[in-house]
Amino acid sequence: MAVVKLVADYAVEPCIGCRLCDIVCPSNAIEMVGRKPIIDDALCIGCGRCVDRCPEDIMWMEERAAPLTVTVRPEAAPQDAVLALLDKAGIDPAVSVCVCTLTPASEIAAAVVKGAKDLEEVCAMTGMRSGCGIYCVAPALRLLQAAGRDMKPPKAHRWYPSTLSLWDVPAEALARYPDAFIEEDRKAFDPDGKYAPLPENAR
Amino acid sequence: MTASAALLPPAFMPSDYGPGLRPHVGEQLSSMISVPLTDLFPRFEPAITAGDPADLDRVRAETRKSLANVDMSKIGPGDSVNILASEHGFGLMGGWPYAEMVKTIREVVIERTGCRKVSLRLAIYRGFREADEVAEHFGFEEAFEGSVHGLGPFDPGVEVDTAIGPMYLIKRAFDGSKFIHAYYDDPREMYFNRLLYKSFKSFCMSYARYETRSVYHSLFGNRSGSIIPRALFDSDFIQQRYAFSSVLRTTPMGVIGIDATTDLYAIDRRITKGHLETYGRMQRLFAKIEDCVAIWDGGRWGYYLHGGGLIFGTLLTSHSDAFDLDKPVVAGFMQVPGAPINFSRHKALRGIVVNQAWVGAGIPYVTMPFTSPMYIVGEEQAKLWREDPTNPLLMDRATVVDSLEQGIAMACEKGKTDKLIVFDGSYGHITCNRSMADLLMARAPEVEREVADTLLPKWMAQRGLA
Repeated sequence: MAVVKLVADYAVEPCIGCRLCDIVCPSNAIEMVGRKPIIDDALCIGCGRCVDRCPEDIMWMEERAAPLTVTVRPEAAPQDAVLALLDKAGIDPAVSVCVCTLTPASEIAAAVVKGAKDLEEVCAMTGMRSGCGIYCVAPALRLLQAAGRDMKPPKAHRWYPSTLSLWDVPAEALARYPDAFIEEDRKAFDPDGKYAPLPENAR
Repeated sequence: MTASAALLPPAFMPSDYGPGLRPHVGEQLSSMISVPLTDLFPRFEPAITAGDPADLDRVRAETRKSLANVDMSKIGPGDSVNILASEHGFGLMGGWPYAEMVKTIREVVIERTGCRKVSLRLAIYRGFREADEVAEHFGFEEAFEGSVHGLGPFDPGVEVDTAIGPMYLIKRAFDGSKFIHAYYDDPREMYFNRLLYKSFKSFCMSYARYETRSVYHSLFGNRSGSIIPRALFDSDFIQQRYAFSSVLRTTPMGVIGIDATTDLYAIDRRITKGHLETYGRMQRLFAKIEDCVAIWDGGRWGYYLHGGGLIFGTLLTSHSDAFDLDKPVVAGFMQVPGAPINFSRHKALRGIVVNQAWVGAGIPYVTMPFTSPMYIVGEEQAKLWREDPTNPLLMDRATVVDSLEQGIAMACEKGKTDKLIVFDGSYGHITCNRSMADLLMARAPEVEREVADTLLPKWMAQRGLA
């Protein structure tokens, strides 16, 4: 769950239509229309990346009239499907995938089960990536991949389909890096031995 | 104890991501003192600099001396060479020693190889304006004749095939025919990297897209994550372009020299051994602190401000021995089922007073004000924190105070402690108050014995260095 207190805005006249704000927006809240960004306040998760990225320094964050709570309650999705997806991805339901919003893996998985098609929709539904925008991405992509979503990267380097995990390391790499604690960490993080490589990442 | 009145730390770079520069804690409070680290651990060797600008000639000389033995035959006159520098080096001792090493590398490469196309690629963390700030502050535009570009995690990527699968680096970092890994050895987040092949970490962080950084931190453990930067470094893509490495070597005393060679694995073994001997002692000394208030007083994110050569994050996680590889997790995203660790929580840390520091700007402190009360000095800083998207709830819990003294008084009263430790960028000494100094002096001999007799042999053996 994310409590979004801020929303992006900008000065229309000096905007040069460079589209950089659109490219870095994690939740598809910005659409370019006639070389000007249109910001959908309902989708803006308040990350501020567009403001930081704007080369003309004509964007800003302003306080919302009332905070926007963005969440998918885990129980809103079928729990057996959520847990099956997490097991397939090899991700513990309780782990905080987004450490900025403390969004658990179970909520990200619930968003995918409820129909999120891509990373942007997961962000818009859960508010993940409203903070650093970095460390939560791979687990979310892995859950999307495990659910069979189209992993073809979108245009303009928004994201790349990087989903490797501890469970995917092939035997040849284990032999090449015997001091990498792969087997030890697998036992520590999966004592019941229920996780496996994603078939798509098998080499 | 030979403690003196608080020494001023090296000046730091002003930034859009932080408040206007304020007087340091040592300038505001006459009760603060500087405890030389050699009072705590007499075996620590002197450094060539702890950040005094007057020492830069020594850094330049050491860089030239080390580079003199480097095989540069991979670089020809017709090559285009990128020197890859990482942002956190500019947070060490004011940043000038690292900047001097970087500039000297360029000079020597041109002299030795005849190659004139030597560019700087400045890898930054997240802020799109960080690279420009660094380039301007340290005079890189002039030193590199305008051939300077920033790199960030959101920049266009390039897919790289590795022994463990495809990963994504930043395209612009490798748009020259060759590159030089210009690094610093600050152990920084030793609770994440565990001093396991730390010298390679830039390959999955500074030079990598955000997805690869996320894989490293979130889909591998503290220990197993070490495979990722090595797999990237060993990839054909990197090896075809790699020329050599040059690393600014440090101890908690400051810069001790430059280590340059084509063999990054050899550099890493030397660094790891030296770090376990020096930073290891300091980390274990921090573990002896049972109660304290920490003060942030520098020009970077609070987690990464140095005190006695160690970042604040080291104090925050000193509840665990970061170097003991028998522990799967010290801090991290992957957790042992049923036994999660909140690495923002340490019972000894009774409060944090923010005299000055960058706001979150990509670094989450989500649970910190819930577990360690935070006191923000001045409305100017409080406004920056309120507008920080990374930590939208922080100011719901943090307290704004009018002055440093007020913040300290409130933190000490609430935390029931009289011990203060300052993270102001200092190396070679710790800025603290008398009560903390007495504790550190009393505990250091015990730490010395513990590390020398028990921990160091164990840490070394766990890394194949015994």
